[in-house]
Amino acid sequence: MTTLAGHANAPRGSIPARPSILQQMWTSRADYLYVLPAIVVMLIVIAYPIYYTIELSFFKTPPGLQLRDKIFVGADNYTAILSSEVFWRVTINTVIWTLASTLIAFVLGYGAALALHRDFAGRAVLRAILIIPWVISAVAASYIWKWMYHSDFGIIGQVLVQFGFTDRQPNFIDNVHTVLPSLIVVNIWREFPFAMIMIMAGLQTVPEQLLRAARVDGASTWQRFWHVTFPHLRGVSTVTILLLAVANFNSFIIPWIMTGGGPSNASHIWITHIYELAFGRQRWGVAAAYSVLLFVILMALGYFYVRALSGNEKEQGA
Amino acid sequence: MAEVVLQHVMKYYGSMAAVNDVNFTVNHGEFVALVGPSGCGKTTTLNLIAGLLPMSGGDIKIGDRIVNDLDPKDRDIAMVFQNYALYPNKTVFQNLAFPLQMRKLPKDEINRKVQEAAKVLDITHLLERKPRELSGGQQQRVALGRALVRDPAVFLMDEPLSNLDAKLRVQMRSEIKRFHQDLNATIVYVTHDQLEAVTMADKMAVMNGGLLQQYDTPAQVFANPVNMFVASFIGSPAMSLVPLDVATVDGKTVLTSAEGWNLPLSDANARKVAGASSRKVVLGARHSTIKLHKSQVAGSVPSKVYTVEPTGDITFVQAFLSGAIVNISLPPTASVAPDEMVWLEFDQERIHLFDGETEMALRAA
Amino acid sequence: MTSTSDTATPRSRKGVDGWRWTGRIFLTIMILYTALPMVWMLLTSIKSGFAAMQFPPQWWPTEPTLASYRKLLDPQNSVGQDFLRFFWNSLFVSFVTTVLAVVVAVPAAYAFSRFRFPGRKFLFFAVLLRNMFPAVIFLVPLFILMRVLGLVNTHGSLILTYLTFGLPLAIWLLKGFYDNIPIQLEQAARIDGATRFQAFLLIVTPLSVPGIIATAIYSFIGAWNEYIYAATFLTKNEQLTLPVGIQRFFSENTTDFPGLMAASFIMSVPVVVLFLVLQKYFVRALTEGAVKH
Repeated sequence: MTTLAGHANAPRGSIPARPSILQQMWTSRADYLYVLPAIVVMLIVIAYPIYYTIELSFFKTPPGLQLRDKIFVGADNYTAILSSEVFWRVTINTVIWTLASTLIAFVLGYGAALALHRDFAGRAVLRAILIIPWVISAVAASYIWKWMYHSDFGIIGQVLVQFGFTDRQPNFIDNVHTVLPSLIVVNIWREFPFAMIMIMAGLQTVPEQLLRAARVDGASTWQRFWHVTFPHLRGVSTVTILLLAVANFNSFIIPWIMTGGGPSNASHIWITHIYELAFGRQRWGVAAAYSVLLFVILMALGYFYVRALSGNEKEQGA
Repeated sequence: MAEVVLQHVMKYYGSMAAVNDVNFTVNHGEFVALVGPSGCGKTTTLNLIAGLLPMSGGDIKIGDRIVNDLDPKDRDIAMVFQNYALYPNKTVFQNLAFPLQMRKLPKDEINRKVQEAAKVLDITHLLERKPRELSGGQQQRVALGRALVRDPAVFLMDEPLSNLDAKLRVQMRSEIKRFHQDLNATIVYVTHDQLEAVTMADKMAVMNGGLLQQYDTPAQVFANPVNMFVASFIGSPAMSLVPLDVATVDGKTVLTSAEGWNLPLSDANARKVAGASSRKVVLGARHSTIKLHKSQVAGSVPSKVYTVEPTGDITFVQAFLSGAIVNISLPPTASVAPDEMVWLEFDQERIHLFDGETEMALRAA
Repeated sequence: MTSTSDTATPRSRKGVDGWRWTGRIFLTIMILYTALPMVWMLLTSIKSGFAAMQFPPQWWPTEPTLASYRKLLDPQNSVGQDFLRFFWNSLFVSFVTTVLAVVVAVPAAYAFSRFRFPGRKFLFFAVLLRNMFPAVIFLVPLFILMRVLGLVNTHGSLILTYLTFGLPLAIWLLKGFYDNIPIQLEQAARIDGATRFQAFLLIVTPLSVPGIIATAIYSFIGAWNEYIYAATFLTKNEQLTLPVGIQRFFSENTTDFPGLMAASFIMSVPVVVLFLVLQKYFVRALTEGAVKH
C-alpha cells in the first residue's frame, strides 16, 4: 500500500523530451487567435510603411514626376541632409524643444501631483481643471495660444504693456528669438497634466506604513519625500519621462498650426521639417531619408524605453 | 461518484519538474488530502486533475475515462478554490446556478437544485446577496454549494480553509468532513496544513519537490513515515531528529554521540541499523514517546533543557541532545527549568531510525 | 496632539506649514496657467469681432453676444452647414474608431494578460514600440496603401489608421485591468462547464467594464483630436473632420477671432464632457494599467 518515491534526491523517472518552440506554438495556437486581429492591423499599417520608407530614402523624386517613377540615387539623400545647414538648425531646435518640454512638463506635473495628494475640499475640481488641457485638441490649444500671442491684440502682450513691463506689444511668435520658448510654453500647457496623472497614480502605490515608519523615525516632510516617496516613484518617473520625450520628439500640431516652422526655420523641428519637405516641396526621397534617421534615433530611445518598462516589470514582480 | 487514477503524471515548467512521476489512486468515495510545503507540486497536481494545466506526461483517469485531453468542463468535476473564486458580479443564487446554466438545464430544475443545495448548506437567506456582502465563512459555504449543486464525479478542493480565521477553520473542517460522509463523495483536497490532512482525510499523499513521498492512511503515515521529510512534516510539534553514529560496544550495537554517551539498541532496532548504508544514522522520536528523568536511569542519555512552554494541559520542553533539539511533552505538574540537566529515555518500540545518507527509514531486514 | 508633542517638535510643525503653503501657492499658479487661456477663449468667443480687437482690451465683453455660436450652429447659412458637417464627420469617425478599438483591444489585452504563449513578450513590446514612431513616417506609405485599398478620401482611411495608432495604449490599459481579475474566476467557470471563450465572455468581460470604458474614452478623444492624417488623407471639403475643417476655414478668415474661439470651444466640449463624466475610470485605468504595468 505504501508508495515509496524515495527521497527528493533519488534518481528521477525518465524525463520526456522537452517540446520544441514550434510544438509549443502549435499547442498554444488557439491563444494566438486573441491577438491575431491586433497583429494583422499592425502589420498592414506599420510594417509596410516602415519598409516603404527605407526603400524610398534611396531614391530621388523630382517634382512633376509620379512617385512610382523615382530614380535611384544611392546614399545621396543622406549626405545631402547631413551637410545641409537647415538640418543642424532643425536638430538643435528639436533637442531644445524635446528637453525643455519634457523636463518642465515633468517637474510641473510632479509638483501638481504632490500638491494634490493631500486631501482637501475641492481637490477633485482642481484636478479636473488641471487635466482639461491634455484632453482638448492640440489644434484648439494652438489657436487659443496663437490668439493670446497675437502681435496686435494678444492678451499677454497687452497685459505686459498695461503693467509697464514693455512699451510696445511684443511679437512672440514672429520673432526668431522668442518663438521657440513661446511654443514650448504651449506644449507644456498641454502635457504637464499627463505627468501629473502618472505621478498621482504612482503616489497611491507608496506604502502608507513606510511613510508612518519614517515619521516615527523622526523624518521631516522633505526627508519623507526624499527617502521614501521619491525612490518609490522612480519607476513611474522613468516611464513618464520617456513617454513625454517620445511624444515631444514626435510633436507636430503645435508648431505646424502656430508658425508652420517659421520665422526662418526658427521653430521647425524634425517632424514639421519632414512634413514640409514631403508634402510642401514634394521631396519625398529626402523626407524618407530624414525619417530613416529618425528611426535610428527613436530605436535608441526605444531601447531605453523597453529597458525601463521591463525593469519596472521586474520590480513589480509581475 | 468515481475513482481517480494518476499514472506517471509529469508536469514541467521549462526544465523544472513541478510534478515528477506521481502515481496514486483515489478510490470511489474516498477523501484524499494532498499535503506538503508550498511549492511541493500539490496544487499543480490538483490543477492537472482538473484539466486547468496541460500535462507533460502520464495519464489521468476519472471513472473509466482517460481525461488527459478533455477540457475541465467535460471532466465531470467540481472545484473549490482557496479564494473561493465567487463571481463578484453575480448574486449567490446566480453563482450557484451558473454551472447548471452552462449545462443547459431547464429553468425550473436549476431553481430546484439551487434551493436544495442552499438548504443543505444553510445559505437560503443569502441567495440574493452579492459575494462581497458575505463573511468569509459564508463565502466558503457558497463556494461549496457551487460545487455541490452539480453532483459531480469528483470534488477538488484547493486549500479551501486557509483564508478563514482559526476558529472558523476548525468549524468548517468538521462541516466538510460531514459533507464528505453524507454525500459519500470522492474528494481530492490540497492543503499545506498537515493537521487538516490528518484530521479529515481517509488517505494522505505527502509531496515534496514534485515527488510523491508517501501515500497511505494518516495513521500509517504518522506511525511509519518512509523518510525523514515525512517524519518531520507530519505531527505537531515535529518529530525530533538526532543525527548519531553506529558503534559496537561489548558486542552490542549502540548509537554513539560526539557528546560521549552511548544509547544501546534493542535487538529489533539493531537489525534495522545493520541495513544502513553507512555508520550515520538519524534517531527520530515523537514528543510523547520520550521520558524525562531528573537523574540518570538505565538506557537514558544526558541532555540540557532549552525552553519550557506550558500550554495548559501539556507542558512542552525543548532540550539539546547531541547538537539537535528534542521535543518532549510532560504533564503540567512537572517542574523543569531552562538550563537544567536532565536524562532522556527513549521507548525502543516507538523510536524511528533513518539512514543518515539516504534519509530513508530503516526497516528490519 | 498633546501640548508636549507640540513643544517637542516646533520645528517640524513650522516645516509642515511651510510645505503646505508652498503647495498652495504652486497649485494657484498652475490653476491660473491652466485655466486663464480657456477663460480667455470663452470671453473672446462672446465678443463681436470689433470688440475683440481693441486697445486696451475689454477684459469683460461690454456687449456679450452669441453671434459667433449662432453663425457656426445655424444650418441655414454656409458657414453653419460646413461646421455642422465637420462636427458630424468627427463624431462618426471617432465613434466607429472607438467601437472597433474596443473589439480589437479586448481580446488582445486579455491574451497578453493571461496566456504564456511563445513570443508573447516580444509581441507586447512590439505593440508598445508602436508608440515610438511619429505619424509623419507613416504618412506617405499609408497614403499609398490607402490608395491601393481604395480608401483615399473616405472616413475608412482615418478609422483604420486611428485604430492602429490607438491600439497600443488601449491594450496596455486593458491588460492592467485583466491582470487584476483573479485567474481562479475563469478556472472556476471552466470547471463549472464553460469553455475558455465562455469564461472570458460571461465572467471576465462584465468585470472589465471600467477598463473598457477607459479604453473607449481614450480612443474617442484620440480620434476626435487627430489632425495630421485627416489633413493628408482627406481633400474633399464635405469629408473634413473638425480640426482640419477649422484650420482650412480660418486660414481664409484670418481675423475672425471670436468665431475661431467659438469653434475651438465647441470642438472641445464633447471630449471635455466625456472626460469629466468618466474621469474616474480613466484615472483608475492609468493607475492599474500604466503604473503597475
